[in-house]
Amino acid sequence: MNARVTPVPLSFHRSRGRIAAFLQDWPPLVLVSLAWLAAMMVVALLAEWLMPYEFSQIDLRARLQPPVMFGGDWAHPLGTDELGRDVLSRVISAIRISLLIAFASTLISTFLGLLLGVLAAHFRGWVENVVLVLIDFQASMPFMIVALAILAFFGNSLSLFIVLMGFYGWERAARIARSMTIAANEQGYAAAVHDMGASAWRVYGKHVLPNIAGTIIVNITITFPGVVLLESGLSFLGLGVQPPMASLGNMVGYGREYLQSAPWILLCPSLVIVLTTFSMSLVGDWLRDRLDPALR
Amino acid sequence: MFTYLSERIARLLLTLFLVLSFAFVILRLSGDPALIIMSPDAPPEAIAAFREAWGLDAPIWQQYLGYFVNLLQGNFGVSMKDETPAMQMALERVPATLAITVPALLLQLMIGIPAGVYAALHHNSRLDRILMGASIAGHTCPSFVLGLLLVLIFSVSLGWLPTGGYGTWQHALLPIITLALGGAAVLARFTRSAMVEVLGQPYIRAALAKGLTWRQVVFRHALPNAAIPTVTLVGMMVGGLIAGAVVVESVFSWPGEGRLLVTAVTSRDLSVVQAILLIVAASMVIANLIVDALYVILDPRLRSRGQGGKA
Repeated sequence: MNARVTPVPLSFHRSRGRIAAFLQDWPPLVLVSLAWLAAMMVVALLAEWLMPYEFSQIDLRARLQPPVMFGGDWAHPLGTDELGRDVLSRVISAIRISLLIAFASTLISTFLGLLLGVLAAHFRGWVENVVLVLIDFQASMPFMIVALAILAFFGNSLSLFIVLMGFYGWERAARIARSMTIAANEQGYAAAVHDMGASAWRVYGKHVLPNIAGTIIVNITITFPGVVLLESGLSFLGLGVQPPMASLGNMVGYGREYLQSAPWILLCPSLVIVLTTFSMSLVGDWLRDRLDPALR
Repeated sequence: MFTYLSERIARLLLTLFLVLSFAFVILRLSGDPALIIMSPDAPPEAIAAFREAWGLDAPIWQQYLGYFVNLLQGNFGVSMKDETPAMQMALERVPATLAITVPALLLQLMIGIPAGVYAALHHNSRLDRILMGASIAGHTCPSFVLGLLLVLIFSVSLGWLPTGGYGTWQHALLPIITLALGGAAVLARFTRSAMVEVLGQPYIRAALAKGLTWRQVVFRHALPNAAIPTVTLVGMMVGGLIAGAVVVESVFSWPGEGRLLVTAVTSRDLSVVQAILLIVAASMVIANLIVDALYVILDPRLRSRGQGGKA
């Protein structure tokens, strides 16, 4: 592994152009991805001001209008759907809903994983065994099936849906947190702080957590696109975000009926989903190489 | 070897037990199971009979035991829609799902492993980067988007294949490809990193130093060692295929298990959902058992364990 790292004299690095050095650290594709993710954030935050129409505003005189490039006009830049609703406004509103779910659920999943992982590492014994069995259980079933079963038993609402998505991927965070906390506890710095009288909260919060943060952040970049894909998949099936709310997945699901006559209804949200998850994965790969040399 | 396998089997049975308990707990949490399974407009005598049959008036631990006794006797309740036994309804759909998931799994292996090995052998080359870029694109593209794009291209524009349905092999082609591509991408990525790791090991250098050709080193030393971590992924791929089948079958209106699950969830046909949950859990357990058996075949260290050999 280390054979590839050949020592290069410092002067070599200095002599390279600054732009080349910058591009070495920040590959163009990663910059584009970051820009796309930033744009999505802005759209989600400013959705109200960016939407040209109300996302559920029906205009039956302007049904199934094509986008600007395909014979439409600027009144509806991305065309309209079967009820004459403006596709651009719906996509903007859908980005907000989908990102809200993805952020909230990733947060829940990461917090849950960290909590259970650290608890398992702190108490060991039966607590650890229970956590390990839960992890095995979560990993043994495809989460999509479990999510569908829970939706069947409990019905659907936005808050329940966010909590449910929050259970996606917690087991990965818990595994990482557990093994890294055990490793940290064995390294001595945690024991040293503990012996100086720090509480368990302080040891884990101020000393252990910063040491495992890099790996956890990388894990977030895996969980986040996973939640986006899962949410859009369930919404596509009509079992996730319910109308009249628009999500990227349910726009594709309902747009499917018009695949032949009005493909723009589903192509635009599809493109947003693909670009967002692709960007997040690229950024995740790049972050992993930067933050976590052990995983390379 | 037997201790290893029996330990694994015990763990898998525990998983199966947990999945069933999970269904039990959720069923109880969501209200009166008699009303939910029998549908509220069922005649009161039928509900009373159902309560008696499932022992719903007994204390909760007796109900829990009774639930397992019922399951062991093959009693899974009936579908709300037409009163056919839920398990029979779910099992009828299994062949259709296998007809697309099994070819998809084979296709995944046929694309993913060679692509990953090739990328690893040409580590950091242009082709390696292109393959890995394609791999990220493959596993971040949701299957419903991929499926609809394929329909748009091959059915709507070119008119070569049907947009959906069931019957001939042409119907199965697009669902299989859609299912296979995502998993193949993940497999390629994983195979590549396993292979890169193995190729950096000292025993590869030793094998080269003793004069073996590169081909011999790759086929006799690198591939078998890289296969061990890759096999782990196959178990996960089966889970991915089952989850993928839910979406893909809906895109192509393929009458399999996944489509039944979606309609059952939409109409809250709980006994059918429960039967499918059990079938999925059982297939996951079987897939994991196969993976464990493959481990034993691939890794000689596991074979010698328990026979006094070195661990």
